[in-house]
Amino acid sequence: MIQHLPILAIMTYFLGAFLTTLLGHNSKSVRWFLVMLASVASFVMMCLLIKPIFLDGGIIGYWMGGRAPEAGYAIGIGLEVDALSLFFGLLVTFTVLLSAVYSIKYISRDDAQDKYYTLFLMLAGGVLGLVLSGDLFNIFIMVEIMTFAAVALTAYRNWAEGSLESAFKYLAVGSIGSSMILAGTIMVYSQVHTLNLAQISALLAGQGLTNTTVFAFALLFIGFGVKAFIVPFHPIAADAYMTAPASISMVFSGMVNKAGVYGMIRLVYVVFQIMDVKSVNYLIVLLGTITMFIGVTSALNQHDFKRLLAFHSISQIGYVITAIGLATSLGIAGGLYHAMNHTLFKGLLFLCAGAVFYSAGTTDLDRLGGLAKRMPQTAAIFLVGAAAISGIPPFNGFASKWVIYQACYEAAAAASGFASIFYAVVTIVGLLVSVMTLASFVKVSQSVFFGQLPDEFDEVKEAPLLMRIPMWIMAACCLLAGLLPGPLSRFALQPAAAATLNIKGYIDTMMGGGYAASQMGDVTPVAELDFSTIGYWQPVAWLVLFVIIMAAVLIVALGSQGARGNKRSTELEKVDGKYATFFGGEHSTYSMVGGSDLFWGLRYNLRHYFGFLSDMHSGVVNDYALWAVTAAAGIILYMFLFL
Amino acid sequence: MDILMKALYLLIFPGLLYCSVAGLLLAGIDRKVVARMQKRIGPPLLQPAYDFFKLLGKETIVPAAAARRTFLAAPVIGLVSLVVTAVLVPVFGFSAFGGVADVVVILYLLTIPAVAIIMGGAASGSPYAGVGISREMVTMMAYELPLVIVLLAVGKAAGDGGVTFSLSKIVEYQQANGPLITHWTMWPAALAMLLVIPAEIGSHPFDVAEAETEICEGALVEYSGAPLALFKLSSAIKLYIMTALFSCLFLSGWGTGIVAVDALILVAVCAVIMLICVSLVRAVCARLKVEILFRFYWRVVAVLAAISLILAWLVG
Repeated sequence: MIQHLPILAIMTYFLGAFLTTLLGHNSKSVRWFLVMLASVASFVMMCLLIKPIFLDGGIIGYWMGGRAPEAGYAIGIGLEVDALSLFFGLLVTFTVLLSAVYSIKYISRDDAQDKYYTLFLMLAGGVLGLVLSGDLFNIFIMVEIMTFAAVALTAYRNWAEGSLESAFKYLAVGSIGSSMILAGTIMVYSQVHTLNLAQISALLAGQGLTNTTVFAFALLFIGFGVKAFIVPFHPIAADAYMTAPASISMVFSGMVNKAGVYGMIRLVYVVFQIMDVKSVNYLIVLLGTITMFIGVTSALNQHDFKRLLAFHSISQIGYVITAIGLATSLGIAGGLYHAMNHTLFKGLLFLCAGAVFYSAGTTDLDRLGGLAKRMPQTAAIFLVGAAAISGIPPFNGFASKWVIYQACYEAAAAASGFASIFYAVVTIVGLLVSVMTLASFVKVSQSVFFGQLPDEFDEVKEAPLLMRIPMWIMAACCLLAGLLPGPLSRFALQPAAAATLNIKGYIDTMMGGGYAASQMGDVTPVAELDFSTIGYWQPVAWLVLFVIIMAAVLIVALGSQGARGNKRSTELEKVDGKYATFFGGEHSTYSMVGGSDLFWGLRYNLRHYFGFLSDMHSGVVNDYALWAVTAAAGIILYMFLFL
Repeated sequence: MDILMKALYLLIFPGLLYCSVAGLLLAGIDRKVVARMQKRIGPPLLQPAYDFFKLLGKETIVPAAAARRTFLAAPVIGLVSLVVTAVLVPVFGFSAFGGVADVVVILYLLTIPAVAIIMGGAASGSPYAGVGISREMVTMMAYELPLVIVLLAVGKAAGDGGVTFSLSKIVEYQQANGPLITHWTMWPAALAMLLVIPAEIGSHPFDVAEAETEICEGALVEYSGAPLALFKLSSAIKLYIMTALFSCLFLSGWGTGIVAVDALILVAVCAVIMLICVSLVRAVCARLKVEILFRFYWRVVAVLAAISLILAWLVG
């Protein structure tokens, strides 16, 4: 039974998608039933895999149609689920489940909802298929399904300004990525005459790098880079995340770009086992660092809530890529941890943006303000998400960023000469990016939830309960993932990192015992992770701290009852001017500081850089495609020169 | 028993009580000395403490435009995080939570009080607070870059070949090899740290975010009564923490071993550091504009710190 679960989880999504088209056209309740059934069922199936894979350390191999390898060649399509796949599989199904619950209310005002849910489940199936697949060509197919469903969903609200345009951009640049993956797959096949990941991995390790395999690696790397939206393939993501419905933006940042990250990890660590090559490390870390810096500085300049979040998504993926590029077990664990946390807090923030859009009808930071009075729960949830993404203890972003800094600075100590300075600079950039992340979320909280409430939003209502439930769940997860790094690392991160580094089991599960040894010679297993250098692994101290903070907040909540003020604010304000806000005699309508103007001191000093950034994000798809191709050429050249 | 000990650390020493007393005392010394420098008589030494208790007794008013809960919770969150930071900073050889005390934790915990001021100011709904938080955030981005580089430089210099993020390791290294200030490679970093301290605590040439004469104390403009008292106490504690952190990073490694005596010595050392980098600068300089402040920190202070970092990697 257990080995059928992966394929069943994927098929449940696709079946749900087809049934929604067939049956869900007229009836709301049938539609919801199908979607919820599919998302819950897949999530449960993934959860059932936790015990055999994470806890018992097993790997599940599955040949479709029972076509096991013949004469030493894998000819059937295989699914293979190791701890790494399961880690991402859990992220995918969890995101889909919460997004489905959120969609029920959020999409309720749009038409063509059956098509929305069909595409939604196709997207889910595509990503899940990608992370569970053990076959390179199958991965390409799943990438295509994922990309096209994502493009169509980006344009779902085609009445909204720019949605068709951004869908077209996504299509154009995304196709470049897909073509690269296809071309890379062909190159690999020409070398090893198989498409099975496990067998490719064993054979490539046996024959070493040839020019063709280097080329294939470069193409596949670029392809997954496009899917993960690293710089300079990122502008499409910024547009797509902004115009897609918030429930879809959450799915994009929660799992679609994780699919690219997963592809990269699988590619560099398992299929090509290329992480011992220093020049590849440098390239990946450099790309990651550039991604996080450009992402966050672009975000500082935005005045649309969702576009700002989109750039942060890019920036946080930069952290993940950087950590993975370090090629230490601490780095991988940190990268995976941050990938998970990013799914949680960025999903949460996109849902908040969706709630604001649902209630207030806009996400323009220059127009919004003071919504905390009208949407107190959304504001509180947003603050949790903002604290998590800015890495404020005790939330999860802090824990994973800490691991990444530690891994990065240790890499600096382990390297020598120029490389150690490089890694030290990467650490500094990482810490700086974190502060800038904080800054841009201060901007959002000031210009959306705090500050003055404009008259046009006076009647705004809190988001409906069905939308708040997934938000609260994610907020709770953000806190738990930050407070319980110990169990998390023992039961999920450590197995996943170990699976990434010890690929012998991965190969033998599919190809039969002893295959890896026969092709690759003896592979020494990588030692268990050691977290002892990281002080965060002291949960008791943090729990005490957390209890004290909660107690303090509770005391305030009780003690503040005595504070005079705004309970009957409007009446009081009329009677007694001392309860009004101090405006220095100016009429309150004219004294608001808009979101765009908030960081004047910074913008003025970095005006040349910001000008360069705006020129770069020209919005012309030709430019973006040109960059993608130029960057691809550059990466291929780099690989040929230094590999 | 363990929990009780931890609670004791947090509430008495080196937590709430100790750092409040030390902070208020330092603030009093600062005011007195600056007054003497400007040929005024100045307030009594305990004036900050008197102010604190006076404010506690005043009425708390929440403005009509404010988001009430955030407005009232912000000062408490700021104070709690500062107390936690104070617990983590070692008093010479003594460290209450040795395993957790890590420069990355300190760095992030130190951002929370600033964020608390920003959130409180934002929640008050006042446009003056809006300007104030904008400047506070820009100031924070300005000094954070040099601070990060200083911490990494110290982490390398005290890493004994490798690197360390742990404060207790940094202290141990200095116990074995003498204070880091005696290494010439660390001098630029120490100077950079001395320049970061006044910006971190928002004292005079770098107080663009409060700027009483311009934007009426910025983020604090709407605060009154007990919340304001907590903010004032927080800024006093910050004075202690930043100077104690300097002493931990650069002047550590000696001490008598008797915790009570060490604590007294530390306050004295803090006072000296404060006189150099806060009081003196405050008495003679006029307030900078925010864009000049930003440029100063990224172009001058960050470069100073970076020199130390590079030297630490090349020489050490």
